[in-house]
Amino acid sequence: MSPSQRLLEFIDQRAKGLGFDNVDGNQDLFESGILDSFSLVDLISFVESEYALRVPDADIHPANFRTIVEIDRYLRVHGA
Amino acid sequence: MTPKECFIVGSGMYVPDTVIDNATIAPVLGILPEQIYRSSGIHRRRWAGSGTPTSALACTALERAMGDAGIKTGDIDYLLFGTMTPDRYIPGSACSVQKALGMSEIPCLDIRAACCNALYGIQLARALITSGTASVVALCFAEIQSAWLDLSPKSATISMLFGDGASALIVSADQNAGALEILDILLATNGSYVDDLGIRSPGTAFPIDPGAADTAECDNSLPRMVGQSVILQASRRMTAACERVLERNGMTIGDIHWIAPHQANANLLLQLARNLRFREGSGIISVLDEYGNTGSASMGMALDVLRHSAGIRPNDYVLLPAFAAGFTWGAGLCRASTST
Repeated sequence: MSPSQRLLEFIDQRAKGLGFDNVDGNQDLFESGILDSFSLVDLISFVESEYALRVPDADIHPANFRTIVEIDRYLRVHGA
Repeated sequence: MTPKECFIVGSGMYVPDTVIDNATIAPVLGILPEQIYRSSGIHRRRWAGSGTPTSALACTALERAMGDAGIKTGDIDYLLFGTMTPDRYIPGSACSVQKALGMSEIPCLDIRAACCNALYGIQLARALITSGTASVVALCFAEIQSAWLDLSPKSATISMLFGDGASALIVSADQNAGALEILDILLATNGSYVDDLGIRSPGTAFPIDPGAADTAECDNSLPRMVGQSVILQASRRMTAACERVLERNGMTIGDIHWIAPHQANANLLLQLARNLRFREGSGIISVLDEYGNTGSASMGMALDVLRHSAGIRPNDYVLLPAFAAGFTWGAGLCRASTST
């Protein structure tokens, strides 16, 4: 399973719980309300355990986690 | 001979009478009342009347703590005051408490570690007592944050959180019934985040030009918070501090009965409990629902509620996690004395 698929499952699960039918890869997850400050912590915990990564403090920036495409890009760059 | 042990032997709290519930503040901030509760766990908060000095709240809390400890003002030989909202820029508000309560000419010191003030205060009190410098230390923590809040939609996520209130602790080498022994305090800071949480002005790095109406300059005098940075760092740092304190005392989270944290946000407290794998149930003391985030005062309020609850038993262990502007953070460890 590619990083994108596992990530999609995590985001989809959260989005469905909030009443979203589906999430576009380029949809702003913060603006749409799918992610907030607290669920970002959950997302990063998921990413760290799922891909055996440690996301450094300096990388905790919305630019890295704003869309599924950006998160996937971050994971690929960091070897997930 | 200097004492090796020291105890929290008295506690008290005070909040102003005026209740501001979510239904009152939400329309002003352009959000829904349920949004406030959902994102913070807060239903209402107290606000002091305009012109009330922060020290007035602290005085009442301290009088209650002295009553709880069974001591008089003359027994106190050191006074520490933690606040982000002092009466005056200079001198510290501890001086106002000393005068108002007619205390003798003891050392009075203000602490400026924001929401970690209680943890810093307890560490300092312990050091003062175990070094023989003082025998009974009074700690006041108070905030009147309502005076600083920007009540406009652009500041909704900050302004919905904060309330006014005060707490006080009495720390002594001699324990009494209900005492909490202070076993360990761990504190740390990373100044890279100074601008992610706090208020810049008035400060020499951000001088105020009285003639300027520049928006950015005006914004410097308002509370600022980079929510994602704060929540993520708070979640990580408080968890790590608790784990380190447990480890260096040869304990695990299974040994902990209570957590009396800084009352930042109910969702953050749940996240902390989850990270630590703390037992389900009512072990985390929260006063957020009623009083909101009272800054410096909040951990002392949680400790006061815990000390006067029926649930605490002799030898119960209590964790005290906190996170604050700076960023600075830490965790404390206490044990209910056998004479509880």
